[in-house]
Amino acid sequence: WAGVAQEAAALSNDGAVLLEIKKSFSNAGNALYDWDGSADHDPCFWRGVTCDNVTLSVTGLNLTQLSLSGVISPSVGKLKSLQYLDLRENSIGGQVPDEIGDCAVLKYIDLSFNALVGDIPFSVSQLKQLETLILKSNQLTGPIPSTLSQLPNLKTLDLAQNQLTGEIPTLLYWSEVLQYLGLRDNSLSGTLSSDMCRLTGLWYFDVRSNNISGIIPDNIGNCTSFEILDLAYNRLNGEIPYNIGFLQVATLSLQGNQFSGKIPEVIGLMQALAVLDLSDNRLVGDIPPLLGNLTYTGKLYLHGNLLTGTIPPELGNMTKLSYLQLNDNQLTGEIPSELGSLSELFELNLANNQLYGRIPENISSCNALNYLNVHGNRLNGSIPPQLKKLDSLTYLNLSSNLFSGSIPDDFGHIVNLDTLDVSDNYISGSIPSSVGDLEHLLTLILRNNDISGKIPSEFGNLRSIDLLDLSQNKLLGNIPPELGQLQTLNTLFLQHNKLSGAIPVQLTNCFSLNILNVSYNNLSGEVPSGTIFSKFTPDSYIGNSQLCGTSTKTVCGYRSKQ
Amino acid sequence: SSLVRRSLSGPGSSPPQCTSKCGRCYPCRPVHVPIQPGLVKTAEYYPEAWRCKCGNKLFMP
Repeated sequence: WAGVAQEAAALSNDGAVLLEIKKSFSNAGNALYDWDGSADHDPCFWRGVTCDNVTLSVTGLNLTQLSLSGVISPSVGKLKSLQYLDLRENSIGGQVPDEIGDCAVLKYIDLSFNALVGDIPFSVSQLKQLETLILKSNQLTGPIPSTLSQLPNLKTLDLAQNQLTGEIPTLLYWSEVLQYLGLRDNSLSGTLSSDMCRLTGLWYFDVRSNNISGIIPDNIGNCTSFEILDLAYNRLNGEIPYNIGFLQVATLSLQGNQFSGKIPEVIGLMQALAVLDLSDNRLVGDIPPLLGNLTYTGKLYLHGNLLTGTIPPELGNMTKLSYLQLNDNQLTGEIPSELGSLSELFELNLANNQLYGRIPENISSCNALNYLNVHGNRLNGSIPPQLKKLDSLTYLNLSSNLFSGSIPDDFGHIVNLDTLDVSDNYISGSIPSSVGDLEHLLTLILRNNDISGKIPSEFGNLRSIDLLDLSQNKLLGNIPPELGQLQTLNTLFLQHNKLSGAIPVQLTNCFSLNILNVSYNNLSGEVPSGTIFSKFTPDSYIGNSQLCGTSTKTVCGYRSKQ
Repeated sequence: SSLVRRSLSGPGSSPPQCTSKCGRCYPCRPVHVPIQPGLVKTAEYYPEAWRCKCGNKLFMP
């Protein structure tokens, strides 16, 4: 037995502690198989363990992404030399043990992306050397301990994506060392303190998606070290203070609050802005033309407010702009042709305003444009044929306007288009056969126009199509049998046209077809039978007096004689 | 005090200059860098900050 005793003695104290920690993980057998109590196994060589070169005590534990579950053993507090503890991206539950406060030299704790519950232990405040505390993405509850302000070396505090409640402790703001404060996606309440600008070393301030109310403190301009200020999706109200113009931030996210009043013109002087998001508030008045001065800004979101007036042509000076969303406001006037200068513009959303006039032809100079939405305005004139030059376009929505004229002949050149919606306009003429070249098209909506002529047989080439809505037009002729090639077609709306002939039996090959409406046409003959058609009700066929079959209300001729 | 100095210089900001911020690497230019707030990728955009870039290396401005 002497040999056994020798072995036990040979395993260091820290080694024995590690075995206790292993034991409290419920499934560590595989991941930590080399954590083994026999003497010839030096804990310093175990997976994820780092030791001090001289004292051989454990200084680091890195057990990320090992699918560990169970709990963190209170024994962790016995690792007196532990400086680095990284258990992120496991499934560890239970509470953060109070004993963690006994690891007096801990500098770094990352327990993010686990299933930890309960409060953040106050004992963490004993860790005077702690520089990084990341508890993001757990199920922690209770308040943020105000005693965290007693950590003189804390640089990174990331408690995002938990269920923390209560106010942000004001004492936390009295740190010249803190650089990163991540509190998004919790249930924090209270107001923003004017003390927040005492964080003279902070660059990242993120309280997005909480229940914070009240106003932005008037001295916000003193937060000159901030690079990112994210106050989005809270209950903040009042006006955006003038002093915001003194910030040096690259990202200003104020969306999803209840801010009122005008957009302060001074924001146009904040050229360090990369992202400006004021969307989904209650902002009124004009878009300040001075915003055109933001020549380094890539993303400008002003949608979902009560903005009036015209779109300032000066926005055409924002040459680095890739996202411009002005939709869901009350903007009037014409779309300024100066927007054609935005050569890096990727997304332009002007939907649901009161814009009128024509789409400027030189919008086709926005070579990078991928998404163009002008739905729900009073735009008129014809659809500019120049749009065909936008060969990066994947989404084009011109619906609910006053557009007239025909669909340009060579729209089929916009080969990457996945959505084309020109519904609820006054479009006339026939559908150009080139539309059938749009092989990536998922959604094609031409509903409620004055389109005449036949459905192009080339539509049989729309091999990705999911929704085809040609209803409420003046389409003539037969339903092309080529539509039977559309294997991905889910919804086919042809109602309220002047289509004639039989429903082609080839449509029974459209195996994905779930919704069909051919009502109110001049179709005749027997509705095809088969599993696809058995799911459609008589409503799909109503208003075609010569259509018969089991799915309709009319029995076909030879049967009615019986 | 700094408050007085700021009010003299007025509101507004500009991108970093990045002159001599990339050590000996040249050229050193300001770029927008997305800061991913979580591991989970969302459809939403990420906040962005300025960094100085030389080749494929980033430096604090």
